[in-house]
Amino acid sequence: MPDELINLTIDDVPVSVPQGTLVIEAAKQAGVLVPHYCYHPGLAVAGVCRMCLVEVEKAPKLQIACATTVAEGMVVRTQSEQAKQARMGVLELLLINHPLDCPICDQAGECELQDFVFQEGRPGTRYAEYSKRFNPVEDFGPDVLYVPNRCILCTRCVRFMEDLAGEPVINVSERGDRAYIGIHPNARLDHPWAGNVVDLCPVGSLLSKDFLHKARAWELDKTASICTGCSQGCNVTLDTRENVVVRVRPRPNLQVNRYFICDHGRLNYRWMNRGDRIEAPLVRRHATDWDEALSRAATVLRGAGGKAVALVSPRTSTEALFLARRLLARFEWTGAFQVVMGDEAPLPGVPDLALRAERAPNARGAELLGYSRDYAAALETSRTAAVVLVIDEPDAAIETAGTLLYLGTVLPESAHGAEVVLPIANVAEEDGTYVNRDGRVQRYFQAKPAPGMARPAWWVLSELLAQVDGAEHCASAAEAFDALAGSTDAFQGLSYAGLGAAGQGITAKAGARA
Amino acid sequence: MSAVETQEYAPVFTGKTLERLQEILTRYPTKQAALLPALWLVQGERGWISDRNMVEVGEVLGLTPAYVKGVVTFYTMYHQHPVGANFVQVCTTSPCNICGAEDVVKALLAHTGAKELGATSPDGQWTVIEVECLGACGFATPVLVNDDFVESVTPERVPELVRKYK
Amino acid sequence: MGYPHKPHAKETALLSKHFGDPDARTYKGWAKRGGYEAWKQAQTMAPAAITDVVKESGLRGRGGAGFPTGLKWSFMPKEKKKPHYLCVNADESEPGTFKDREIMRWTPHALLEGTLIAMRAIQAEVGYIYIRGEFTEPYAIMEQALAEATKAGVLGGHKIHLHRGAGAYICGEETAMMNSIEGKRGNPRIKPPFPAAFGVFGMPTTINNVETLAAVPHILRQGAAWYKAMSLSNPKSTGTKLFSVCGHVRLPGNYEVTMGFPLKDLLHELCGGMRPGRTLKACIPGGSSVPILNREESEGCLLDYEGCVEKGTMLGSGGVIVFDDSADMVYQIMRLARFYAHESCAQCTQCREGTAWTTKILERILAGQGKMADLDLLLDLSDNMTGKTICVLSDSCAAPVVSGIKKFRTEFEDYIAGRKQPVMVA
Repeated sequence: MPDELINLTIDDVPVSVPQGTLVIEAAKQAGVLVPHYCYHPGLAVAGVCRMCLVEVEKAPKLQIACATTVAEGMVVRTQSEQAKQARMGVLELLLINHPLDCPICDQAGECELQDFVFQEGRPGTRYAEYSKRFNPVEDFGPDVLYVPNRCILCTRCVRFMEDLAGEPVINVSERGDRAYIGIHPNARLDHPWAGNVVDLCPVGSLLSKDFLHKARAWELDKTASICTGCSQGCNVTLDTRENVVVRVRPRPNLQVNRYFICDHGRLNYRWMNRGDRIEAPLVRRHATDWDEALSRAATVLRGAGGKAVALVSPRTSTEALFLARRLLARFEWTGAFQVVMGDEAPLPGVPDLALRAERAPNARGAELLGYSRDYAAALETSRTAAVVLVIDEPDAAIETAGTLLYLGTVLPESAHGAEVVLPIANVAEEDGTYVNRDGRVQRYFQAKPAPGMARPAWWVLSELLAQVDGAEHCASAAEAFDALAGSTDAFQGLSYAGLGAAGQGITAKAGARA
Repeated sequence: MSAVETQEYAPVFTGKTLERLQEILTRYPTKQAALLPALWLVQGERGWISDRNMVEVGEVLGLTPAYVKGVVTFYTMYHQHPVGANFVQVCTTSPCNICGAEDVVKALLAHTGAKELGATSPDGQWTVIEVECLGACGFATPVLVNDDFVESVTPERVPELVRKYK
Repeated sequence: MGYPHKPHAKETALLSKHFGDPDARTYKGWAKRGGYEAWKQAQTMAPAAITDVVKESGLRGRGGAGFPTGLKWSFMPKEKKKPHYLCVNADESEPGTFKDREIMRWTPHALLEGTLIAMRAIQAEVGYIYIRGEFTEPYAIMEQALAEATKAGVLGGHKIHLHRGAGAYICGEETAMMNSIEGKRGNPRIKPPFPAAFGVFGMPTTINNVETLAAVPHILRQGAAWYKAMSLSNPKSTGTKLFSVCGHVRLPGNYEVTMGFPLKDLLHELCGGMRPGRTLKACIPGGSSVPILNREESEGCLLDYEGCVEKGTMLGSGGVIVFDDSADMVYQIMRLARFYAHESCAQCTQCREGTAWTTKILERILAGQGKMADLDLLLDLSDNMTGKTICVLSDSCAAPVVSGIKKFRTEFEDYIAGRKQPVMVA
């Protein structure tokens, strides 16, 4: 069925949108953000906050943009006097019971109530009554606190738990101005995806215990990244304060995770801030500079022959995996990785979205580049290999008669016997790509500097390649990826720039899953 | 706050009550639709609806306890606390108000010993509450004593009414 | 008839003819009085033909909105692809209104008969009669009547179930009622979709008020033209209407008169006028949700849909609340605002917060702590609460406030200026 486009104007800007589009979404195309609270593109429409009231020509009264579908020739005015008055009225009413405790509220700076009041609210209050509604803070679940005094009853959290998590453990209790978000005393808000209610809350009513009082929103730097928690490849934003990752939040990607991430991914970031990092290259356990270390590693590689094994972490970037393979191409090559397994936890209301049992962000990328899941066999091969190259795999069982070259973020016991240890950046400290379980190649960006002399693995491997084979050095992850795409069937036709912020699928043929 | 239940829980939906519920379930295409009638059955059996009752209702109808609680707290006739043996609801909305409903309330509080609205009398016999419109405005002041709808109550008639239920 | 009083010559007792007569409650007694004849007749008619008769009669919804009943029925899908439902709105909760209660108490079979006819017209196999929880006696009577009718075999293949509410005014709003039947909080739904397309359980549904359905058998038996001819003023308002009169009249009760009947006659003749020594001050003619009329407006008002609009109010449910000169309008308007604050479902911001704030301001004024600016604040707040929410509960709270300030401003000012003893509100 061909999509018929509907033409309308919003604040005098003509837009054409598919039939059935909501005015609030059409407005975005006109560059207009209609203020709203209960509406969220990832949730069913509730139409209750009444904040998105706009004037629609020929309609007898103001309409809510979130529940009005576009019609041919429709004329919408979001800035008419009537519409502005109505929204100012809603803001005033939302504020009569909302504490002005922004200075101690985690949401301040990213609060939709604060933003819209600032934008079009009444300068003062006319609420002369002494007291505001009060209810004590409730502990809803492992990572969620409820501050009812700040709640504006938008019901996003309730709809998320009911419609998407399929587990309505929170509710709207009571009615009228006594209403609040309630929970049954026997229940906890501990669904594996429950943390999303904190992101969905437009005000500071649902708070993450993990993030409590950690930072003010304006102190945060935000970097697009990919969750490393499993093979789903959820798009996330890493929030850093003074180069420390303090929060992980979902980054919308309709193809992968819509607007959500699971709690496992959300809370699994502390390792990115580990203090016990390798900060300088080591040659036979003695700290040195990059020149000596690289030269020593190159000498080893040039001088060896026969079998070589690469044992890699499935958190390694696709670029590094590619370069490592290329580096060992002169040998009888084996590459392998091991995957930590856990319980699968789907978000039932969103098709194909789950915390996957495979807790590895780039297992698919490794497979596409010829790395095997038969880690045990590779370990066995290592015994007789001339060279064993390890990328951030802490497995202590590595034994080899050959030379161990270790690229890592930390120095595990298994690396103690390494000829050369080369410090590398973790996912938060470099640019790169991961391939998720569905064959989608997605970029992550550098959020903070790597410690000491650590460098991205792709840089290290590219340097070694240059020294060993005289290959041209890659100056960026982009160059490394483009070299990969140019020489690997599965990635044909892709370019780093073309991946954009949302990623692209590998070619259907090559990407067909076993 | 809900009253603490220390004893082992005795389910409501057994025997005849379960049969009643099963008959009610045949009236609706979904189990959820039987929620209001099921809650009435609980209140009929237990006098009020405890958090534990809500868990049971949820189990029987395939709903979460929180969902059930959201519904219970919406409807004012479901008691979330134990109430007196005689539960008295007095309409004090405008039409009855102008006909002296507030005096009826005062008389009821005095004669039942309940003393204040919503509190149960020391003998556990009476709880008196004000309610909004009972839908019998021409018979001011209507009073609902348990399930008995009493019309045209005046302060003068209160002693007799209270005697009847003692 | 002016139940619980003697019939008045100016009444047209159609629905209320048997009020007070316990024999009419029984199936036998009802059959003796011509009961279920119309249902028999309807069973010989095509559904569309029944709808046409009702359309032609000019019958409009008696619950408050006054929407043409036949037209509403005609919105149901003609070709039946899914189950159709009828919901009978017996949640009568509008302050001042108590007519459906009497219909169910005295003539339960009239309601069942109208229900069956409507179900045939809209091709519904299942009907739910939603009775407010507080109506214990009407519920028991309806239950008895339903059992008798079922036993007598008059239901045919139709199923009618009673559904008891549990204390929520808002469930009288049709979409809230459907949610309540589904076992949910009684939250009104956003429209569209409309009930005829997506109603209870997501199926095509019609919701009709008790009084509306009770009128249907009469229309079927005596014809649309006969019903239509019952109109004293505007041809768009036809038939008879039950007016529940309460408050400061000598004979409060239910009075059935032809549409267009003068409010003045209703109050001063049928209801026996004011109490001795008292004069009429104000009147709300259509249940508490419609604007208040002052004495002059009341005495010039004709009781039909258009006559009320002409006076700036609405016929609503026909719940007539009468205030004499002893009434404290500020206090009573506060009580009404408190009612709406109590009943707000909490969904829409303007309603949830606005009804409560309105009540607080009125309480403050009554306590002698108001300011003159509060009156403008109340009006502005009421404007914010009008025409901006999912349902009209918020508007209903604003109506008495706005009309009250407009018409009885000095009473508010007396409290503010300290000319009147403050009232401490419980």
